[in-house]
Amino acid sequence: MSGHLIEDMLIKYAFDLAGDEEKASMAAHLGECERCRGELERVRGRFRALDVLAGDAAVSEELTAAVIEQVQMRTDHGQDARATKRRLPPVWMGLAAGVLVVASVLVVNRGWRADEAVDKAVGVGERTVRHEHFAAADGPAVRPAVRGLAETGLMAKAARAEEIDDRPPFAPASAIELVVLPRRENVQLTIYNSADLTLVRERRNLTMKRGWNWLQFMWANTLIDPTSLSLEPVEHRGEIDVQQLVYPARLKDIGRWLIRSEVEGQVPFEITYFTSGLSWRAFYMGTLSADESTMHLQGYVRVDNRSGEEYADAQTRLIVGRVNLLDQIAELAKRQYPYGSPVVISRGYGGGMMGGMGGFGGMRMEGETAWSFNGDRDGDVIDMLATIKQVEKEGLSEYFLYTIEGRDTIPNEWGKRLPSFTVVEVGVENLYKYDETRWGTETVRFLSFKNDTEHNLGETPLPDGSVRIYRQAGEGGSLAYTGGTEFKYIPVNEKAELNLGAARHVTVEPVLMDYATAHYQFDRDGNIDGWDEVHTWKVAVTNTREIAVKVEVFRDFGTPYWELEKRGQFDAFEKEDMDTVKFTVDVPARSKREFVYVLTTYQGTRREASK
Amino acid sequence: MFCAEFTFFVNQRRGIVVDIRDGKGLMDSSDNSLIRAHLMGEQAAFSELVRRHGDGLLGYLLRTTGNRQAAEDLFQETFRRVHEKAETFNGNNFRAWLYAIATNLTINEWRKRKRRPEMSLEQITECRDGGCWPLDTIAATDEMSEPSQAAQREELKSQVRSAVATLPAKQRLTLIMAYYQHMSYAEIAAALGCSTGAVKTHMFRALKRLGRVLPNVPGGVL
Repeated sequence: MSGHLIEDMLIKYAFDLAGDEEKASMAAHLGECERCRGELERVRGRFRALDVLAGDAAVSEELTAAVIEQVQMRTDHGQDARATKRRLPPVWMGLAAGVLVVASVLVVNRGWRADEAVDKAVGVGERTVRHEHFAAADGPAVRPAVRGLAETGLMAKAARAEEIDDRPPFAPASAIELVVLPRRENVQLTIYNSADLTLVRERRNLTMKRGWNWLQFMWANTLIDPTSLSLEPVEHRGEIDVQQLVYPARLKDIGRWLIRSEVEGQVPFEITYFTSGLSWRAFYMGTLSADESTMHLQGYVRVDNRSGEEYADAQTRLIVGRVNLLDQIAELAKRQYPYGSPVVISRGYGGGMMGGMGGFGGMRMEGETAWSFNGDRDGDVIDMLATIKQVEKEGLSEYFLYTIEGRDTIPNEWGKRLPSFTVVEVGVENLYKYDETRWGTETVRFLSFKNDTEHNLGETPLPDGSVRIYRQAGEGGSLAYTGGTEFKYIPVNEKAELNLGAARHVTVEPVLMDYATAHYQFDRDGNIDGWDEVHTWKVAVTNTREIAVKVEVFRDFGTPYWELEKRGQFDAFEKEDMDTVKFTVDVPARSKREFVYVLTTYQGTRREASK
Repeated sequence: MFCAEFTFFVNQRRGIVVDIRDGKGLMDSSDNSLIRAHLMGEQAAFSELVRRHGDGLLGYLLRTTGNRQAAEDLFQETFRRVHEKAETFNGNNFRAWLYAIATNLTINEWRKRKRRPEMSLEQITECRDGGCWPLDTIAATDEMSEPSQAAQREELKSQVRSAVATLPAKQRLTLIMAYYQHMSYAEIAAALGCSTGAVKTHMFRALKRLGRVLPNVPGGVL
């Protein structure tokens, strides 16, 4: 070899990448060349950093046991198949069997496609629940696909046995055996807004086979809480035993129920679980009468589905109020509701609310609970006219449960607005407030009413939500937007005040007319240590509206040591707190009222005098 | 052909059954013998295979996935496939076959992650004592008394991990199998399904690339 070894050669030598001949040549050179030996050490040193990641990981006993157990159980289930495989029949028999299998699969597929077409037509989420028959005897209600598998020998072991094996299978035999479930028969959603939690109860008719059955439930891309899954047979309770729910280690978002069944054929099951992502909120539209003494109040409920799952024809129930997540929810959820039956609500609720279609003319349902609503898609006027749905309400101590009558499909990522109630006549009070400490020099308009029977309400609390207020303007029935706000949960018999924002047509102008000091007191050294301040204020309240209004004027004195002398036109005077008073003034349409008050505040030692 | 294979199995089985019945002899059995015993239904043989190759395989999967959970999942899946496909094993080199299965699963996992990125893939983590730490940190903290040394070593590990992560897939797999799993190039070729020459090329290119980016090791860190 002529010359020294270059770096590439040294790398090849150090990592045994050179051919035999090349390697021998390099070894010979290195034996003679000290410089190249040094370079070789340098090259090796450059890769020494790789050693920081050296060392094997120790496999835990649990992991080893899991692997071995998994394989052992598979071996148990697969032995028959493997034994069958070993006893290979002659080739011609295999070919003949193959032709038969292909033929049967074709027949099976035809049947299945028909079933799938039906399922798709009704919009069932096929991916959600699959049903696996495992090692059970064949029966008349068994789907053709399963029968085909039984005939191919995979389930021969169970088919031979009359008695059900006491030992449950470790795992489903094969994914090939998975069968798509029939569509949901019923689904009920109970939405707990305060906890972003929805209880889903669904009913499906599962085809059971005598023996062990696997039911696979998948929740990929949904917000379902897998730990809350529960499965119970609705019929044949004594003959069907749901034994365990398994979460396979390697399969994400999958749970499998192991079910031991003494019966064959269709059995209705109820599956319950919690999911998040479903929410609802209430909002209201109020239309004031021309004189603004009454309001036509219409309530809506908007249900949003961001759960990742579509719930077709679901009965929806809404919980108002904060709930305890552990016990009460379960109790609430267990309450029975007559599926599909018309809601007949007793007059015992005595609401006196008026039900109807609001802007669509409406019908009067005086004396009945009337959270009527339409559950069809927004804008579907024909359906809206055809169906008047209702919300049934039940008081449950701290909460209210509203059950929306009828069924609705709430697709994933959809929001749906459902009219919830209409009250034609709610007596309201127009109130204007002036408080510099809260709103500066603007007068703020409020609309107040009480959630009681006197106001045609009072049957249930009103869920918090947003409200938009319109006013009838002109004879043509056109509406003028008056204002909007959010309001909090209004319990029964509580007063609601809707803040509609700054008012332009009602103004309040306080003017300081006079200021003086008096009653000075001096200490022993002749210094002032007490005096009175006397303010004379004139307050002008102007109403340029066509209707009479009530105005509340709040005045803050900045001290609790005060005395007030009233003069002028105000209707009531009330001490609001220790340093604030409220003057109430009724102002007729297009008029102005003025009042004067003289405020004396006591300073220093004069505070004693005020007592 | 069929008859010859059948006879061979029977002979092997007779030999192994004697050993296994009293629990002896498993340690000395070759991988091929164990896999054949497993095929004959001897569960202890499979357990021995798991124990024999488990640590190395888990280390390989930890290095390729950078995530303990994923590595353990792939570990189970690898042995599940070994069990299911045992009859297709050609009897040449069990370790190469085992790593071929693990490598295919790893590559699938990489593809999945590319489509659906997950949290921190760079550092191997483990949770214990109420918290989660990089796996290497736990070992380093246990072993080293000097906090500054431990920190220095952690920094070095991070740099090396990043350097290895920049390698193309086959170069990375080759380097991990050759350098850390101490597999021969022929075994690696069998695992990757390519020629020994190709493996050497991958290795050489990996080293050339790493030579430019690997940090110098200060004395006392290793």
